[in-house]
Amino acid sequence: MLPSSTLLSLAGPGVPASFSGEMGHPETKYSSKPRKVFSSLSKNVIPLQRHSINGLSLKKRNSLLSFAFGKEAKDNSFSDVGEEDTDEMYDELLNNYGKVVYKRKDQKPASAEIDDDAESLSFAVEMATVASEVKAGDIKVLFVKPLVYWTRFFIIATAFSRPQIDAIGSRIRDRAEKKYGKIPNGDTKPNSWTLLDFGDVVVHIFLPPQREFYNLEEFYANATAVELPFENQPPFRG
Amino acid sequence: MIQPQTYLNVADNSGARELMCIRIIGASNRRYAYIGDIIVAVIKKAVPNTPFERSEVIRAVIVRTCKELKRSNGIIIKYDDNAAVVIDKEGNPKGTRIFCAIARELRQLNFTKIVSLAPEVL
Repeated sequence: MLPSSTLLSLAGPGVPASFSGEMGHPETKYSSKPRKVFSSLSKNVIPLQRHSINGLSLKKRNSLLSFAFGKEAKDNSFSDVGEEDTDEMYDELLNNYGKVVYKRKDQKPASAEIDDDAESLSFAVEMATVASEVKAGDIKVLFVKPLVYWTRFFIIATAFSRPQIDAIGSRIRDRAEKKYGKIPNGDTKPNSWTLLDFGDVVVHIFLPPQREFYNLEEFYANATAVELPFENQPPFRG
Repeated sequence: MIQPQTYLNVADNSGARELMCIRIIGASNRRYAYIGDIIVAVIKKAVPNTPFERSEVIRAVIVRTCKELKRSNGIIIKYDDNAAVVIDKEGNPKGTRIFCAIARELRQLNFTKIVSLAPEVL
C-alpha cells in the first residue's frame, strides 16, 4: 500500500487531479481507458499472458479493470490524471503491481470462510457423536485446515472388529445422507483402515493394530484437537 | 507413461526400493499407465530386514511420472522420475509415510489414504 501511495502522489502534482470515488462507478465512465491500459500492456507482455488476455471477453475486461480502479480508489490517493500522462503512469503501476491485475472470482470473503468452517465443524462433531453411539473407541476430531489445504477436519476413530467398522461406517453414511445430504467417497466395504471422504471432513476408522501402525495422530500432531461433547460425560454406571 | 518392463522408484517407507512394472490393471490391452493407475510390479531391489524381498509380486499406485500431467486450467506437473507407492489388495498403503509431493488427482481417484499420508499435495 505505502509504495503505491507515494508513487501516486508523485504522479499527482502538475496535472489537474480529480479524486475518483468509490468502487461503484458506472463502467461506461472507464470504458475508454481500459482499452488504453491494454494497448500499453500488450506492447510488452510475454506471449503467454497476451494469449490469456486475448482470451477474455470484453465484458470480462471491463470487470477486471473496474477492480483495478477500485483498488486504487480504495487507497484514496489515486488521481484521475490527464490523458497524456496515463501511459507512463500505467507503466509504473504495472511495474509495481505486475502486468496483469488479477483476482479470482470464486474467492469468498473471510466471513463466509468462517461460516463454512463452523458448518463443517458441526458436521464433524455430529459424525463423531454418531461414531461414539456405536461405541467406537478413542475418537479424535482434528482441525487440519491450517496444515493441509484439501480438507478441514479429520475424524480418527478405533473400532475393534470388522463388523463394528461396518456398523460405524453405515451409521455415519446414513446420518450424513439424511441430515446433511452428503454422500462420501472412499471405501464402501469394511476395511482395516476404512476412510470416508466427505470433502471438508474425512473420517478414518481403524482397527487397533492399523491405528498404531499408521499413527495418523502423530503425523498430524500440529493440528488442534476439537473438544467433543460426549467426552466429558461421566461413564454410565448401572 | 509406464508400461511393462519400466523400472520405478518407491515413494514410501515400505522397504522396497525399486519396482519393475509387469502389468497395468484396468483394461485388457492397455498400453501405458499414468499417475493414479494401479500396476502389478515385481520388486527388483529391497531394503534388508524389511517385510519385502526381491522378486516379490506386489501392487502399486503410480504417484510420479516423467510424462507430464495436464490439468484443465493449464497447469502441467511433471517429475524427474517415475515412482509408485506399494499398496495391498484392499488399497491400504504398505508403508506408513510417503516422501514426495503428490498430485491432488489421486484424491479424486479414491486414494485419499495415500493423500492423507503425504507431506504435501500439489
